[in-house]
Amino acid sequence: MLIEQIIIFGAISSGVYALLALGFTLIYGVSGVTNLAHGSFYMLGAYMFFVLSSFFDDLFGSGMVSTSILALILAVIFVGIVGILTYRIAIHPIVGDQVAVMVITVCLALVFQQSVLLIFGPTFPPVRWPEGSFLVISTAILGVTVQYSRILAFVVSLGLFSSLLVFITKTKIGKAMRAVSQDREVAMLMGINTERLYMLTMALSAMLAALASILITTSTSMSAGAWMWLYPLALSFSIVILGGLGSIKGSLVGGFIVGYAEQTVAIVVPEGGAIVGVVPLVIMVIVLLSRPKGLFGKRVELEE
Amino acid sequence: MVRRYLRTCYSSFTAHVFDIPPRFMVFLFLIVLLLLPMAELSPYYLSIIIQANVLAIFAVSWDLLVGRTGQISLGHAIFFGIGSYATALLFKYYGLPVWITIPIALLIGSLAAFLLGFPCLRVKGPYLALVTMAFPLIIGTILKWSPLIPIFGGEFGIRGLPAFFSFLPDPTPQVNYQRIAEYYLTLFLLFVSSVIIYKIAKSKTGIVLVSILDDELASKACGINVTKYKLMAFMISGLFGTLAGCVQTHLLHVANPPNFGLTLSFAPVIITFLGGIGTIYGPIVGAFIYLILDKYLLTDLLPKLCEYFNVTLPDEFEYAKLLIFTLIVIILVIKWPRGVAKFATDKLEDLEEARDLDERGPRIWKRYKRKEKN
Amino acid sequence: MMHLLQIENLTKRFGGLIAVNNVSFHIDEGEMVGIIGPNGAGKTTLFNLISGFLNPDSGTVKFKGGNIIGLATHKIVNNGIARTFQVVRPFRHLPVIANVMVALKSPRGARKIEWIKTFERKAVDMLEDVGLTELMLEPAENVGHGDLKRLEMARALATEPDLLMLDEPFGGLNPLETDFLMKSIQRVHLDHPTRGIIIVEHKLYALMQIVQRVIVLHQGEKIAEGTPEETAKNKKVIEVYMGKAM
Repeated sequence: MLIEQIIIFGAISSGVYALLALGFTLIYGVSGVTNLAHGSFYMLGAYMFFVLSSFFDDLFGSGMVSTSILALILAVIFVGIVGILTYRIAIHPIVGDQVAVMVITVCLALVFQQSVLLIFGPTFPPVRWPEGSFLVISTAILGVTVQYSRILAFVVSLGLFSSLLVFITKTKIGKAMRAVSQDREVAMLMGINTERLYMLTMALSAMLAALASILITTSTSMSAGAWMWLYPLALSFSIVILGGLGSIKGSLVGGFIVGYAEQTVAIVVPEGGAIVGVVPLVIMVIVLLSRPKGLFGKRVELEE
Repeated sequence: MVRRYLRTCYSSFTAHVFDIPPRFMVFLFLIVLLLLPMAELSPYYLSIIIQANVLAIFAVSWDLLVGRTGQISLGHAIFFGIGSYATALLFKYYGLPVWITIPIALLIGSLAAFLLGFPCLRVKGPYLALVTMAFPLIIGTILKWSPLIPIFGGEFGIRGLPAFFSFLPDPTPQVNYQRIAEYYLTLFLLFVSSVIIYKIAKSKTGIVLVSILDDELASKACGINVTKYKLMAFMISGLFGTLAGCVQTHLLHVANPPNFGLTLSFAPVIITFLGGIGTIYGPIVGAFIYLILDKYLLTDLLPKLCEYFNVTLPDEFEYAKLLIFTLIVIILVIKWPRGVAKFATDKLEDLEEARDLDERGPRIWKRYKRKEKN
Repeated sequence: MMHLLQIENLTKRFGGLIAVNNVSFHIDEGEMVGIIGPNGAGKTTLFNLISGFLNPDSGTVKFKGGNIIGLATHKIVNNGIARTFQVVRPFRHLPVIANVMVALKSPRGARKIEWIKTFERKAVDMLEDVGLTELMLEPAENVGHGDLKRLEMARALATEPDLLMLDEPFGGLNPLETDFLMKSIQRVHLDHPTRGIIIVEHKLYALMQIVQRVIVLHQGEKIAEGTPEETAKNKKVIEVYMGKAM
């Protein structure tokens, strides 16, 4: 029974974690920015969904899946816009200086955290699909009870991941992103507007984080909270380091490894839920100390 | 004779390049701090400066590692936490007095720094930042794990730790002797730590550390055993970071998980960026700016002003404090990426020194040649 | 007879590319040898292999009779091999004199400092050798390229190496600076008769005038070795540089 639980729940979280990590690795690969506020976009996604769902519920009456989906889409777009603004205002001026970027993004994360506290207070609003909808119904896979919402999360995340892969490899914008991530100056010489690309990538990154957030919180018993940005940040780091900074398939593979490790610890270790936060960190440390470029890392630390 | 000339030019060029602020400013600062308790300052304000002193020690130790040797550490809280819990546990299980537990804790901290330094040797840049960030978080999380609560006290931590000066008479409404004594103790420790780290930074060892910061490969090509120096920097930085943790624990009488927390890890980062990275006075100035900004301006002055102007602050102002504070930090970092205090001293030096520096070198060289001829 | 530096069958691959292919030669005490070759010939890779910045796939490098493959870079320096970099690597935040002092702080650099001479005095001496004393207090980041090249050499000389390796020392220098540097190198050579010097260089007219022997590399292989005059007349060398005659 335990093993089936681990397999099923591990798979579901892994898919969503892969999305989250993809957002992080994209902005780093393309613009070199280690965005410590990535978790904040995650948090904002959950909160916006909550706000919009409540709003639509008041407007149209509760219980309709279509309004929830609308809320999801709008919330994600909103966070994308926040991402663009964040980049333009706070990151663009110092985009060369790695340490300054880290300082500023962490301050931004705190700004977001405090703003949320200011607006919503220290409460933990539940983020849920509407009560009566089919998404709340459970079914059984491999003898484990799983809600449809979780299956949805899994399907959406893998589907989105593959579409993004296609996007990055086949479309013009995707190719521009890859070009800039390999050599920024040459890309500029080729006529690619790097500034606009950075903003676009930031938007995409933020939207992925927001979507991941909504998918996870609606399908688990988690609620939103002003400090919910810390754990996703640790997850993003861990997965991206494991998979390789700047590698897309690394985010996928890393997402699955970390997701499964986390589930295993949560289920197997006594009182595991409390220390589940350590898992991504420990994985990260192990990777960094043995093979820093991760499984598929592109940036190699060349001696000369 | 020659040596004296070279020594003056050595110190003056380090003054230009390495940011010693005008000496009198340092003295002024010290005098003000020394005389502060004489003014009728309430224990509350004294405790703000005490906090600032401890944070300053912490930040200076961080700056040696990051600003001078170039090893980005986002997990300095690990030393703070080790110092904190080491003294606490030594007291809890062995009942040892402060003046024994702290040296032992310092030893443990240095040893930890040495051991932690090894894995960090091969890792650079953002990877190093992440590894260092993870260490204290891992330990902090494990500390709160239920099976370990009997030892570490979980969320609450270990309480009831003795104060430094419990032998002094109890505080009266007018004077808090213990607080004053703690004030001078922390000031003294800050002074000693800063001087030690200053001496190291200005020595030839300090020069080698900067060479590692600038170009580790070239440093190796000069025959420098970079590993040895990095470990040394780790240990010294760890030693003083641990000291800060020990002192804080006995000031607040508690050792709890936030001592390994992210806030504490990032505090020296923000403080040093405010004050000036790579300098010695930078973190100190930054710590004071940070605390005055946070505790005084926002917690004290602003509400008083609002009272005066009959403006009521909403309850949520609590949350707005950190918000305003981080916004200010963001603006400051964008405008002066190398630190506020450093920017100021650079400007001062531009006015005075830069002009005659170009002539100084050749002048001293000519004098040197003349001496040699005779 | 033991050579100062003996390289045998040295090979290094990067993925599918063979950068250095089965190169062998030796340097004796007091010799000044030049290594030339078109771009991509593997000269800098060879340098990196000898100075310990890269490990070879096969072959041996013997310095003063002892094998130095696998030794840490700083240990190799402390054994007596010093190198400069093609793209200058000064310590930007440090003044010129401090740049030299770093090298003096190494075990090998420090051993020659008697109690009378301080570090600063020795550093000033080194700067005097290359003519940089006027700039000694200037932060390295403010110093011009030509002077930085000389600083590279001063830093390398500070460890009193038995083998000095210069990687394109004349790169980016105008004729006046080139001339000055040529004379500096010759002076350094004369002052230390037991010291070997290897110079990798593109500027042939400068190099050929000061070295005693030339080794020519092409696509990782050694294709010629001899005096400057012999090398200049060598058909293969001319072909490699100029292309086949029509």
